[in-house]
Amino acid sequence: MQLASKRFTVEDPVSAQEFFHSRGWTDGLPVVPPTADAVAAHLAWSGLPPDHLVGIEPVRQRAITAEKLAVNAVMAGCLPMHFPVVVTAVTAMLSEPFLLHGATASTGGSAVLLIVNGPIRLEVGMDATFNAAGPSDRATTCIGRAVRLILGNLLEVKPGGIDRSTFGHPGKISFCIAEDEEHSPWPSLATERIGDPHVSAVTALAAMAPRQLMNEWTTEPTEILDTYVAEITANMINYSLWPGNYVIVIPPQLRTHFERAGWSKADIRRYVFDHAFIHRRQWAGVGKGAVVGDKGDRMYRALPDPDDLLVVAAGGPAGGFGLVIPPWLGHKSRAVTVPVGACVDC
Amino acid sequence: MTIEVLDPTHGDEPDPFALAPRLDDVAGATIGVISNGKQGTRRFFDALARELIDTWGAADVVRVTKPNYSAPAGDEIFDRAKQWNALVAGIGD
Repeated sequence: MQLASKRFTVEDPVSAQEFFHSRGWTDGLPVVPPTADAVAAHLAWSGLPPDHLVGIEPVRQRAITAEKLAVNAVMAGCLPMHFPVVVTAVTAMLSEPFLLHGATASTGGSAVLLIVNGPIRLEVGMDATFNAAGPSDRATTCIGRAVRLILGNLLEVKPGGIDRSTFGHPGKISFCIAEDEEHSPWPSLATERIGDPHVSAVTALAAMAPRQLMNEWTTEPTEILDTYVAEITANMINYSLWPGNYVIVIPPQLRTHFERAGWSKADIRRYVFDHAFIHRRQWAGVGKGAVVGDKGDRMYRALPDPDDLLVVAAGGPAGGFGLVIPPWLGHKSRAVTVPVGACVDC
Repeated sequence: MTIEVLDPTHGDEPDPFALAPRLDDVAGATIGVISNGKQGTRRFFDALARELIDTWGAADVVRVTKPNYSAPAGDEIFDRAKQWNALVAGIGD
């Protein structure tokens, strides 16, 4: 396989670390040296030629090839079988609704959240249960990390460079969740968004840090969702009131109550849509009175539409916790779902 | 034992964008300011416009605002920009 990337010779694996760190090509953690064999193995697994054009970053007009993605995926610790997920994630990020440049350059400091659905989760060993939003397994951690290295090395999304984040958050190291489809009463996120239950898919969202909640003291779906709604509206008051794609992650303990009551994901979306809103005057209560003006009675919903709520089943078997993952800045960047293996130009 | 590793970046590939040449003189020029539209930028760019006209003799300062401060300016703005001698990318927060 003919690879176009420039080659460098280093003394040994330890020297390789210093070589990559010294050039600013890492996220601060050690990387796997991207040898030609390793990169070729990634490309071969996906059946992609090195010069396959995955997409063009629309603002900076950067062509993103499969070879460069593979180099970074190897560095992140990915196995070849992880690579189709990485390619799919980047394909989603390069689509116009994702607004990649804005989402990754903003002072707001979002990370790229990946939600993986379908058979490929199990094939690559993704764990959607314990520590689902953290480092639960090799596949989710390395795939999420690959996205960060790709942004840094191919689009110069580095702190103080393109990335102007005031804070960022830990999800910028790796932010990848698999949905627990095997223990869920509901269709998966991807099934609902693209309509095919047999297809693997990746949903990408420019997302803020997860906000954890707890309600173990009721079995009523509405009361459980009231806690999620409270977390969403707290985000609207304290961070951004603009509507967008919120993610809520529901663990097994709470899913049991929804299942028993016969609630579908659509029911959940409708309830959250109806109840997650604030009035602008609420900003005055948190020190933002200066921007309330004469719009105090104006109502702002968290969701432009019920379908903008991404409901995900994941989490360890015990604990009445939940996660709300807010969007970066309302609907400026939209969640994008792309089937694994889809080709946008063939 | 040495290892051969691959460059994870675009390497020496030239940047598709370059800064326009500087004006020889601001005096008499029409300067565009494309603001990203954030609330706190208005007074700053007001002051910049005054400075360009009053101190440096610019003929005019044309102010336009992007509809989405996180996205690039659209074709309509770039078409207008063709009438200007120079423009300022007005990124403010």
